[in-house]
Amino acid sequence: MVSVLTIPLIAIFVIVAILLLFRPNSGLFLRWRNVRRKAKQILLEDALKHLFHKENANGEPSIQSVSKALQLSEDKALLLVSIILDEDLAVWEGNKLRLTASGRLAALKTLRAHRLWERYLADKTGFSEDEWHARADRAEHILSASDADALSAQLSHPTYDPHGDPIPSASGEMAKLHAIPLTTADIHQSFEIVHLEDEPPAIYAQLVAAELYPGMKLEISERTQQQVRFWTNGDEHHLPTHVAGNIYVLPFPDKRTARDIPKLRLADLKPGQRGKVVALSPACRGLERRRMMDLGILPGTVIRAEFVSAGGDPVAYRIREALIALRQEQARLITIQPLEEKNDS
Amino acid sequence: MEKEKTLTPSELLTMAEDLRWQIGGNIHEHLVEGIYTDASRIADRVVTGERPKFDLDRAIDRLVTSRVWGIPIMILLFTLVFWITISGANIPSDFLASILIGKIYPAIKEIAFSIGTPWWLVGILIDGMYLSTAWVISVMLPPMAIFFPLFTLLEDFGYLPRVAFNLDNLFKKSGAHGKQALSMMMGFGCNAAGVIATRIIDSPRERLIAIITNNFALCNGRWPTMILLAVIFIGALVPAHLAGMISALAVVSVTLLGVLITFVMNWLLSRSILRGEASAFSLELPPYRPPRILQTIYTSLIDRTAYVLWRAVVFAMPAGAAIWLVANLTIGDLSLAEHIINLLNPVAVLIGLNGVILFAYMLAIPANEIVIPTVLMLTVLTAGVQGAGAGVLYELDSQAGTFELLTLGGWSLLTAVNTMLFTLAHNPCSTTIYTIYKETGSVKWTAIATLLPLGVGVGLTFGLTQVWRLVEAWL
Amino acid sequence: MTAEFKPASTAACETCPVHQSAYLMKLGVDMQNWDYAVALAGNPNTGKSTIFNALTGLKQHTGNWPGKTVTRAEGGFEHAGLNFKVVDLPGTYSLLSTTVDEEIARDFILFGQPDVTVVVVDVTRLERNLNLVLQILEITDRAVICLNLMDEAARHGLKIAHRSLARDLGVPVVPTTARSGEGLDHLVRTIGEVASGKIKYSPHRIQNLSPALTSALDRLSVHIENLYPALPNARWVAMRLLDGDERITQALEQGELGHLSPAATNEPQAIQNLESQPA
Ligand SMILES: Nc1nc2c(ncn2[C@@H]2O[C@H](COP(=O)(O)OP(=O)(O)OP(=O)(O)O)[C@@H](O)[C@H]2O)c(=O)[nH]1
Ligand SMILES: [Mg+2]
Repeated sequence: MVSVLTIPLIAIFVIVAILLLFRPNSGLFLRWRNVRRKAKQILLEDALKHLFHKENANGEPSIQSVSKALQLSEDKALLLVSIILDEDLAVWEGNKLRLTASGRLAALKTLRAHRLWERYLADKTGFSEDEWHARADRAEHILSASDADALSAQLSHPTYDPHGDPIPSASGEMAKLHAIPLTTADIHQSFEIVHLEDEPPAIYAQLVAAELYPGMKLEISERTQQQVRFWTNGDEHHLPTHVAGNIYVLPFPDKRTARDIPKLRLADLKPGQRGKVVALSPACRGLERRRMMDLGILPGTVIRAEFVSAGGDPVAYRIREALIALRQEQARLITIQPLEEKNDS
Repeated sequence: MEKEKTLTPSELLTMAEDLRWQIGGNIHEHLVEGIYTDASRIADRVVTGERPKFDLDRAIDRLVTSRVWGIPIMILLFTLVFWITISGANIPSDFLASILIGKIYPAIKEIAFSIGTPWWLVGILIDGMYLSTAWVISVMLPPMAIFFPLFTLLEDFGYLPRVAFNLDNLFKKSGAHGKQALSMMMGFGCNAAGVIATRIIDSPRERLIAIITNNFALCNGRWPTMILLAVIFIGALVPAHLAGMISALAVVSVTLLGVLITFVMNWLLSRSILRGEASAFSLELPPYRPPRILQTIYTSLIDRTAYVLWRAVVFAMPAGAAIWLVANLTIGDLSLAEHIINLLNPVAVLIGLNGVILFAYMLAIPANEIVIPTVLMLTVLTAGVQGAGAGVLYELDSQAGTFELLTLGGWSLLTAVNTMLFTLAHNPCSTTIYTIYKETGSVKWTAIATLLPLGVGVGLTFGLTQVWRLVEAWL
Repeated sequence: MTAEFKPASTAACETCPVHQSAYLMKLGVDMQNWDYAVALAGNPNTGKSTIFNALTGLKQHTGNWPGKTVTRAEGGFEHAGLNFKVVDLPGTYSLLSTTVDEEIARDFILFGQPDVTVVVVDVTRLERNLNLVLQILEITDRAVICLNLMDEAARHGLKIAHRSLARDLGVPVVPTTARSGEGLDHLVRTIGEVASGKIKYSPHRIQNLSPALTSALDRLSVHIENLYPALPNARWVAMRLLDGDERITQALEQGELGHLSPAATNEPQAIQNLESQPA
């Protein structure tokens, strides 16, 4: 009795197992192979990105540099590079690896996905600055070219990522950054921050903590071997050289120097006080920025703080006759010039 | 003008892209600055006149948003609204019940029998459909007719955005959006409307949170249940002259509990499945506008009456027929209803309710309005109260009668409090569930929004029941 | 590139109401038995729904806070023997940002091509409201400005020179107090006049743009006009393309913009252009 039933049962079991493992489209075996392939794909894309950056920085891309950048053993790096060479994505030029046109395009595609995703995180989600890079590092391998195009459209085709890096276009064109590191910039000149290097994360975190953003104007007051002192928005910062080296700037032709820009923020107004908007901080991004401008918060607008909410936080401001409630952290993004008190209450 | 070569759409797009790079900076910024320059020039030319020195709006705002008085004034205002509703609804409610149930019901039943209608038809039509509709109307209509005009007056005056303004900090700390206060207050009218009102929240994450937690705002289908139970069980604990105030406070407490649960759920959601930080918030506080009292009362009375009557007819009538049927179809010795109730009883006892109440909540998924009538009809049946026939309401034309009947059905103070809690937190009604599905377009979020409140309700009532029983045993 | 073109049979008559209704029907508006479509747009909380109720006799909910209306509502009224369909839109501060409620309003005004767009304005916050008015005037010249809340303006001691405003804006301006119904008969008459298309208006166009932007806009709009000679708002389309508006880009790619032109004369030309383009 038992054996009569067992044999077909075992047969069914085996068949089911084989089916599960090797089913054409979603079998476990295929999935496992896909995961392996995905992992390889990710390494490949990361390697191309590395070659691209190294090349742009006039470095010497090599097997060693790949192994260091991707934290792989030299054997694995060798294997990876040989795949890259096989697929004609790069060629040897002396002892340097040089990307071919198709290799460059592939690298730019990953870069585009990465920077678009950062832009997306910055504009449309609540994730904090220090999470953007790591998240984009994952997303860049998942987004297909058409996903990236759709995302770009959804974000109104941004040209820069939130760190100030240009986003390559779909056809692989990208604006050149002529920016120089702050550590080589002239003293007593006005500069605009155009790029904050987001790697390594520990240093980037310091830049974020100092509330620096692309688009800010600054003026260097002192530069020594150890540190750089500079003014932005009426604040004086001093940063150690290795941190300041991650800030990239461009000369900014403005008669007013960064020192003159007042330090006062809208959030500093007490109820009853008035101020005139000087600028919206670059940290005010995306929809939030658009919304503020639509409400009429523009350079030159006179705003009066009216009253504070019972919960202590949003404050109601009189903006072009309308009463608008803004949270403290938003009001901190608006620099103002204080105005004389008008006696009207 | 030179005639240039006509470009194809895609060439045009490329050109736009190039120009965008050339202009540099933010196009939107350039545009808005240009528009506002024009706007302020025109406005300066067109508008003249001085604003008066004393600004009443500002004085009111200072008061209702003050750190000390803001929140107490808010609670006081809502208590006042409930107190007026409760004390004002009593008399018309009893009056309607005495007419619809005390007089008309026996009369039409007599007529029906006298013309030889079969007993089962009389059962379905009069004991089922007519009675449940009459009940819904007499319980629902008076509180609605008082509550909504009052609420609309507050809304027209311009008070609601101030509530959002005052509560924003709490919402932000719980990871949600300050405008959720507005969708929550719309939920006090109807949760389906509250869910649609979440569209004013721009951030998708915060909007989902607002949708999922909207059901913790008591809707108009649940106010009357709350008010009735508060009056007959909690108001009855104190001397008569305090009863109105105490019942109002009880209702306010449950409402505030709902607000508290909303905050806790916001916090939990934004730290688990809807992770993220609070996004930006800007809210225009409109000027106070003196409401037109008589017109507001008139329109919201007409509107609400029509709405409640419509819901009563659409939902209560078929439900009444269904209840009569399950109460009268017997399998073995017991009716179908009794079988179901016995099945539910063990679970219900754990959370301090009874099988009747749970069954009523199942039948009331289409409309929360019919919970109380269903409970009463089913209680009559299981408690073995005999009226003109099995499964028929008896002497329920006054609140005292209701109290007696429920006590007979095994209700204690604990049952009443648990029912109030469960009314606050259980699955949304079917209309709301459908609206959530339409707004989110996702089965997953709809399921979460449906099951989460139910889970909270079961948790709350279970916790309270266990503690209550421990304390009772200890005393 | 996929492009769909309507047969040229809907062409010809510029002011003919039937012509417009095809697009409205696409947006889900039933235009059977209606002669003209009227849209009510404006900043939040300016009294659009109150005016809608007064015109149509319906009971759209109103309330004194911004964002009360979040979906489109429809109703109708009759004037001088003609039937007017009225659409109450959600309030919006601008047509330039892209949030859900703004998209409803923007899509309706641009793609629905109502015969008349009534912009309801809160006179006590005129400057902020003009931001939206000026944007709408870039899109359509069939607009009526409804200066609502005149009673509130009086209460706050403000005087409004509405005639001079009408001159500045180039379109009719009607002062009203919607809650008591003051000025609504005048509004209805004006809507009727604009709908009939007898008077041509030349609305205000935004002037104070930066030189770089102006020249970019000029270059782009020349080409847009070449492609769609009858498009009434080429400059606005240029603005949106420069700003990278997804919806407008899509409309251009899919040839929807061609449909927006009052006359369909440009269609053969557009088809040629598409055919000469590699797949
Ligand atoms: N005093 C006064 N109040 C008005 C007038 N018109 C409207 N209101 C009030 O203003 C408030 C807002 O009116 P709604 O019609 O809801 O405004 P809306 O433009 O539809 O607002 P949203 O739907 O939020 O965009 C309501 O409380 C109206 O009663 C008016 O002419 N005078
Ligand atoms: Mg409205």
